[in-house]
Amino acid sequence: MEKVTVYAAMRAGGMSRRAFLQACGAIAASLALPPGSGRAIARALERTPRPSVIWLSFQECTGCTESLTRAHAPTVESLLFDMVSLDYHHTLQAAAGGAAEEARREAMAANHGRYLLIADGSLPVGHPAYSTIGGVSNLAMLQEAAAGAAAVIAMGSCAAFGGLPGATPNPTGAAPVSEVVRDRPLVTIPGCPPIPAVIVATLAHYLTFGRLPALDPLGRPKAFYGETIHDRCYRRPFYDRGLFADTFDDEGARKGWCLYKLGCKGPTTYNACATTKWNGGTSFPIQSGHGCLGCSQPDFWDGGGFYRADALPFGPLTPTATIAAAAGVAVGGAVAAANRRKRAKARAAHRPITVDDLEKGQEETP
Amino acid sequence: MSASLERGLDRFRESLDADTAGFFATCVRCGMCAEACLFYTETEEPRYTPIHKLQPLKRLWWREYTLVGRIAAALGLSKPVTGGELADWSELVYDSCTLCGRCSLVCPVGNDITYMIRRMRDGMAAAGYAPPGLVGATRRAIELGSPMGVQLATLQAQIRHQEEATGLPIPMDREGADYLVLLSSMEIVNTPEMLGALARIFDRAGVSWTLASDAFEATNSGIQIGVAELAREIVMRTVTAAERLGVKGVVSPECGHAYMALRWEGPDLIGRPYRFEVLHILELLDRLRGEGRLKVDSTFNLPITFHDPCQVVRRGGVTEAPRNLLKMVATDVREMEEHGVYNWCCGGGGGVSAIGRAEELRLKAFGKKRGQIEATGAKTVATACANCRVVMEEAIDHYQIGVELVGLTELIADHLETEESHHG
Repeated sequence: MEKVTVYAAMRAGGMSRRAFLQACGAIAASLALPPGSGRAIARALERTPRPSVIWLSFQECTGCTESLTRAHAPTVESLLFDMVSLDYHHTLQAAAGGAAEEARREAMAANHGRYLLIADGSLPVGHPAYSTIGGVSNLAMLQEAAAGAAAVIAMGSCAAFGGLPGATPNPTGAAPVSEVVRDRPLVTIPGCPPIPAVIVATLAHYLTFGRLPALDPLGRPKAFYGETIHDRCYRRPFYDRGLFADTFDDEGARKGWCLYKLGCKGPTTYNACATTKWNGGTSFPIQSGHGCLGCSQPDFWDGGGFYRADALPFGPLTPTATIAAAAGVAVGGAVAAANRRKRAKARAAHRPITVDDLEKGQEETP
Repeated sequence: MSASLERGLDRFRESLDADTAGFFATCVRCGMCAEACLFYTETEEPRYTPIHKLQPLKRLWWREYTLVGRIAAALGLSKPVTGGELADWSELVYDSCTLCGRCSLVCPVGNDITYMIRRMRDGMAAAGYAPPGLVGATRRAIELGSPMGVQLATLQAQIRHQEEATGLPIPMDREGADYLVLLSSMEIVNTPEMLGALARIFDRAGVSWTLASDAFEATNSGIQIGVAELAREIVMRTVTAAERLGVKGVVSPECGHAYMALRWEGPDLIGRPYRFEVLHILELLDRLRGEGRLKVDSTFNLPITFHDPCQVVRRGGVTEAPRNLLKMVATDVREMEEHGVYNWCCGGGGGVSAIGRAEELRLKAFGKKRGQIEATGAKTVATACANCRVVMEEAIDHYQIGVELVGLTELIADHLETEESHHG
């Protein structure tokens, strides 16, 4: 099985050479790689054996998997399952119970140091007993699997940042993968769920170049998380002209104006939804009339309400703010009064300038 | 600290009103004013960035009028404005600024940089850092009545010549005339034909006009050096004469700052409205044209372009009149690429032409205008400001470009419909 290359597996799956090359070109384009990289990707995939992938699910909702498997064939997303040898995945594998766990251990031992580890869901670090599989805590399973992994992918916002399980009050003490795995190359692909094409492109990059793509400070591939939704939003011109929908059924909403006032988190959310879109490029939330929730940003559940505009304060003005405002007014008033006195003094000292003065000054100066 | 420096800084303090403080506080440091200033574009030296020319005034504002600046000053973290600093800035505030107003026009946050330069010149002059050339011009304007030292006798001699040349009377001190016409000393000395041109046009159009023996000079050196009280004294001469003669209007000649000083600054300087209207000569001519009283019977047929004097067009608002007139008298009018309110200065306005030490810089700055003129392909440039004309003529001589300058009023006078052609 290990000798089978990515390309061979894809051809065996019924893909034509032409479709394969087109897919490689699409991957290169989505990663913003230079023209010609599509060929490089194709050559690499022709030679590279399909890597073994272990997919572990922790405190999650299976939404990430659903997102991937809802991909329409033949799309870029469907390549994923041809590209890798998926040796363990709760939802997708046929085996169950002890046999499944045995398969996982075998794959890990056979490919030690070479397999890719994908983790979705957060880890109940505060109370490891809250989530176990076959009697093994999530925390112990991740630590064991990560030890033999070539690289780790934290899939979805729960694995990347803690997500819903980590939202206040966070009863399980949920933590992201990055707090457990510290000594392996780690890429985070946040989103609730993440965009399938992003997952595929990240894998293709790894298979082609043997390393992870360029990452931002939160570990996200820059090619997809380099710009905000807002920067690329087709409704941006309305924002720039100050045209906003104030309710979901007003004239502005019908005319497709900016949803900022209805709580759209596009300006603070880094993701590729506005360009890559969803469901085979059909649409994305803003295009269907709802603001961005900011699902690929850390702590988005605790961001103060989906329908609250970004610029509004989270709570009512506290006494601190009132005191600060009063102090600001007082200091401003005092400075203004002092300035008025200073100007008045200068005006009182005003003496008309004669032409003689114009020359006198020059003689006095050193 | 010398008494004069302290007096200059006090003038800075006086000038820091809400407008100026607002301008300084809202500057977003975008640098667009640099690209709008011909002293920057022609030298590419960052110190000629317009807002930078105000740095001492801005520092004084920050140190003495803002909370953070006051704290920093109290802790000794910022140094006071010194005489040496003002001496360094004299070149920036005077030699390299013609008050052309292009920076104010392009500022995206609406800061009137030109206005602030004027305010800063007030303190600079009070502290004794005005350039000697400009101080001399101002002294002559106050003491002799004209920045070039032109006296009434000189004017009277030129009047006699022009009366002989045209066969028309040039009235002086005529009470009850409709218009009091002012001249700039540049015109009296360099282009006295302008007087004859006016006499012919007014005779043909039936305009009742006069000169005033005690207020023939239009140039206002007080505005250029930046001292309000001197500017007021010069404006007041014209106001007194106009009201003594009982004219309906005062006509500012082909001179940029004269028009701006009298029309837009004058009432503020003297603290009351005028009892007469102020017109630029081109406004009056365009009015006569509109009434059918000004006609030509021949046209200028070579390519010709128009140099917009900054104070008349951008700062003065007289944009259409010169174009209407030019279209009437010329058949091949070629606009420069940036014209009207976006024109580029000749490089010698705002008193710069009176600053001897600025000559080299002025000639360099002319590169912008030179490029604009050459791009039109016209060998004749009409303008409506005697100062622009002299500055450009000097530069054209210097660079040997082979372009001819003409005053628009003169051009019209040369093609004026005569009595014979009208009836014949």
